[in-house]
Amino acid sequence: MKISILGTATTKFGELWNISPRALAKEAMISALDASGLKAHQIDALFVGNMLSGILGNQANLGSLLVEELGVNIPAFRIEGACASGGLALHNAVNSLKAYQYRTALVLGIEKMTDHSQDEITNALMAAGSDEERLAGATFPGVYALMAQAYMQKYKVTEEDLAAVSVKNHYHGTLNSKAQFQFEVSISDVMKSSKIADPLKLLDCSPISDGAAAVVITSDENSKKIKNNVYIAASEVATDTLSLHDRKSFTSLESVVKASNNAYKKTGIKPKDIDVSEIHDCFSISEAIATEDLGFSEKGEGAIDIAKGKRTLFKGDIICNPSGGLKACGHPVGATGIKQIVEITEQLRGEAGKRQVEKAKIGLTHNVGGSGTVAAIHILRS
Amino acid sequence: MSGIVSYGTYIPKYRLRLSSIAQMWGKDSDEIEAGLRMVEKAVSGFDEDAVTMGIEAGKKAIELAEIKSGELESVYFGSESHPYAVKPSSTSVAQYLGVGNNYFAADLEFACKAATAGMQVSSALLNSKVIKYGLVIGSDAAQGKPHDALEYTAASAACAYILGNNKNEIIAEILEMSSFSSDTPDFWRRDGARYPSHFGRFTGEPAYFTHVMGAAKNLFAKSKLKPSDFDFCVFHMPNGKFPRVVGKKLGFTSEQLAPSLIVDKIGNPYSASSLMGLACVLDVAKPKQKIFFVSYGSGAGSDGFIFETTEKLLKRQKKIIPVLEQIEDKIYISYPEYLKHTHAI
Amino acid sequence: MITSPVKLWRRQKSASSLIGKKGKILHWTIIRVPAKSFVDQAPYPVVIVKVQNGENMIGQLVDWQKEDLKVGQDVVCVLRRLRTEERESIIYYNIKFKPL
Repeated sequence: MKISILGTATTKFGELWNISPRALAKEAMISALDASGLKAHQIDALFVGNMLSGILGNQANLGSLLVEELGVNIPAFRIEGACASGGLALHNAVNSLKAYQYRTALVLGIEKMTDHSQDEITNALMAAGSDEERLAGATFPGVYALMAQAYMQKYKVTEEDLAAVSVKNHYHGTLNSKAQFQFEVSISDVMKSSKIADPLKLLDCSPISDGAAAVVITSDENSKKIKNNVYIAASEVATDTLSLHDRKSFTSLESVVKASNNAYKKTGIKPKDIDVSEIHDCFSISEAIATEDLGFSEKGEGAIDIAKGKRTLFKGDIICNPSGGLKACGHPVGATGIKQIVEITEQLRGEAGKRQVEKAKIGLTHNVGGSGTVAAIHILRS
Repeated sequence: MSGIVSYGTYIPKYRLRLSSIAQMWGKDSDEIEAGLRMVEKAVSGFDEDAVTMGIEAGKKAIELAEIKSGELESVYFGSESHPYAVKPSSTSVAQYLGVGNNYFAADLEFACKAATAGMQVSSALLNSKVIKYGLVIGSDAAQGKPHDALEYTAASAACAYILGNNKNEIIAEILEMSSFSSDTPDFWRRDGARYPSHFGRFTGEPAYFTHVMGAAKNLFAKSKLKPSDFDFCVFHMPNGKFPRVVGKKLGFTSEQLAPSLIVDKIGNPYSASSLMGLACVLDVAKPKQKIFFVSYGSGAGSDGFIFETTEKLLKRQKKIIPVLEQIEDKIYISYPEYLKHTHAI
Repeated sequence: MITSPVKLWRRQKSASSLIGKKGKILHWTIIRVPAKSFVDQAPYPVVIVKVQNGENMIGQLVDWQKEDLKVGQDVVCVLRRLRTEERESIIYYNIKFKPL
C-alpha cells in the first residue's frame, strides 16, 4: 500500500498573541484540506499531536474539540509523546490506513504556548521528563546541557563548534517566510548570549512558539488529487528510558538509532541516500547528536561536519533543517513533527522556493520526545 | 543509672562574619566583637532546617554508638525552629534515620533548653528501665531580626546524644540532675511571628544568670561537690560574654570553661548551644573526669547535669571528628547571601 | 508541582536508605533559568552521580563551590528541603548531593 500526502499546510510560527488555539488549528486544518482539494466530510479521521493543552490550558478532549471546529463528527484522536507528539500522530494515522480502518486521514500538530508565563512553561515542559529529574530541579535545557557536557568531554568538541548549528538554522530561517526568526546569527552572537544551563546559552535553545501544521494522507492510490506524488516510505517509532541518567549513553539517543535503523532496513535506503532532512534541534547539541545517530556523520563528528557546512543549504551533501529547524522556525511542541513533514513534502515536490534542495528525491524527518525517550522517524520519497 | 553512649554534631558550612552585619547597619564591628566575644556565626543553607540538620547529627551519633537505629526506643527533639507548628519533627528525624515504629517520641520547646529537658526525660526512662537507648536532639536554624542585636548571635547547628543504661557502653554517666524554672518573659516568639523578640538587658540578670545559678546551686547542694571537684564546666552560650561571667561567678576557672566555648566560633545555635559545648568537652576529656553542665532556656529555666566520663570514652574519641575540626570546613557568605539563605529576600 | 503529602510519605523509605551514601559526579550543569518551583534558588547545579551501589542518580548539588563542579568529584547524599513552599503546604524533603 502506498500512503501519499495529498495536501499540507503550516501557520506562521511565532508569538501569535492574537490567534487562539482553536483559530490556529482551524487555519492549519482548512489550509491543508484546501491544498488537498478535499472537504472536511471527505476525511475519515483526525489525528492530533499536542503536548501541553491539558497541562497548561486545562483542556483535554482535543480530538472532539477540533472536529467541532471542522464542523464534522468524524473519529478524532489526540496523541501525546512530548515533543514527538506530531510524529507519533502521523505514525498512528499511517497505521490506521495500513489497517484498512480509514482511507484518508487529516493529521494536525498544534501547540499554543505564549498564553502562559516562562516559569509555567518551563515547569510544564518538564512533564516530558521524570519525577527524579523534576525533583532535582532540572529543566529541559538542563537535561540537554548534561548531554552537551558529556559530548564535549568525550569528543573534545567546543561550544563554538555547537554554535554552528544555530548559525546554520538561522540562515535557513531567513529563507522561510513562516519561520519565527528570520535573521541570521553569528558564532559570536551565540557565544555572547546569556547562559540558560551551562554550557547551553539562549541562542543554543529553541524558542517558545505558537503554531500549527497539518497534512492530509491517503491510501487511495487512484486519487486524482495526488500531484507530484510524495509518499510515506517508512514510519518508525522507538522508545528509551524516561530519565537521561538511566540511559546507556549520554551522547547518543538509542531511540533514534533504533527507529532510523528500522526505517532504513524496511526501505533499503541508506543514510547517504537521504537528500534532505528535518532534524529535531530543540538544542544545538540535539542536532549534532542526531546527525550521528541517523548515520549522516561519524560518531563525534556531527558538530564538526555542521560547522564545515556539510548540512547547509546549497553547500552540503545531506541538508538538515532547510525550514530553519526548531531553532529558527520555532518549536510549538506538538506542531513540530508535522511541520517537518510539510517541509520535506514541499522539498520533494520541488515547491520549496528559496530553500529548495536541488533534485531532492528522498527525505527524512526526525522527531524526538523528551530527552530522547521516544523517537518518530519518517522517510518520504517522490 | 544512665548516661551518654554516643554523640553527633552537625554545623552547617556557611559562616557570616559579624563585621559584615555591623557594616550593613553602620556599627563599629570591633566594638561588637569585643562586647560579644565572637567573630562569626554559622548559617544554615537555603534548604536546611532543624530536621535536616538533626538527621545529620543523629546519623553520626548512631554510627558512633555502633547500634542499629531500630534499637532506639525514644526520640526527643528540642528546637525553637521546628519546621511545623503542628506536625512532629521527632518522627521525621526518626523516619529518615530508620528507627522503625516502636519508640516514644515528642517534640519539645523550651527556647534553648528544649533538648536538655529531653535528656532529663530520657534519663528517667532509662533509669526505670523502660527503654534501653534514647535519642535526644537539639537543633535550630535560628533567626534574628535584621538590625536587632540578636542578629549577631543567632546561629544554626544540631547536636544528637544517644543515652543508654548499659554500664559497658556509657562514656559519660549522669551522676546528678537538677532544674530551676520560673515564668520570666525575657525572650519570646508568638505563634506565626517570624522573628523572636526580647527585652534587652532584662535577659541578663533576672533571666540567664538567675536560672543558671539557681540550677547550679541545686547541683552543688545535691552532689555536695564544689567547683574545684570538676575538670570542666559547660554553660549555655547566648554570646561569648555570659558563660564567662557566670562561670566566674560560680567559682570556676577560665581553664575549666575554655574547651566548651564554641560560641566564639559559631555563635549561638539555641537548642544545640550547651549540647555543642558538651560535645567539645567530650572530644578532649579523659576518663574519670567530672563535667558541670547547666543549660538555659528563656521563659525561663535551666537544666543542670553532673557527668562523669568513663574509660569507654577513649574508644569513641578515636572514631570521632572533633567539633573544632568539623567547623574548619566553612565558606564565608556576604550579608545579602545570608538574607537569601534565611529566606528574608 | 509536587505538593502531595502522600508522595512524600511513599518516598521516605528510598530517601532514608540513601542518606550518607557516597558517589561521584559523572556530569554537571548549572540551571540559570529554573522551573517555577525553583525560582528563588537559581542558579544551582544539577548533577548526574554514579552512586556507591552502581546506579546513576540525578540531583541538585548543595553547599558547592566552583571547583566542585568537575567530573569525578566525590559527593555524599544528604536530605534537604526541596524548595520554598507556600505557607500552608507540606514541607517536601528530598535527596540532594553535597561535595566531599
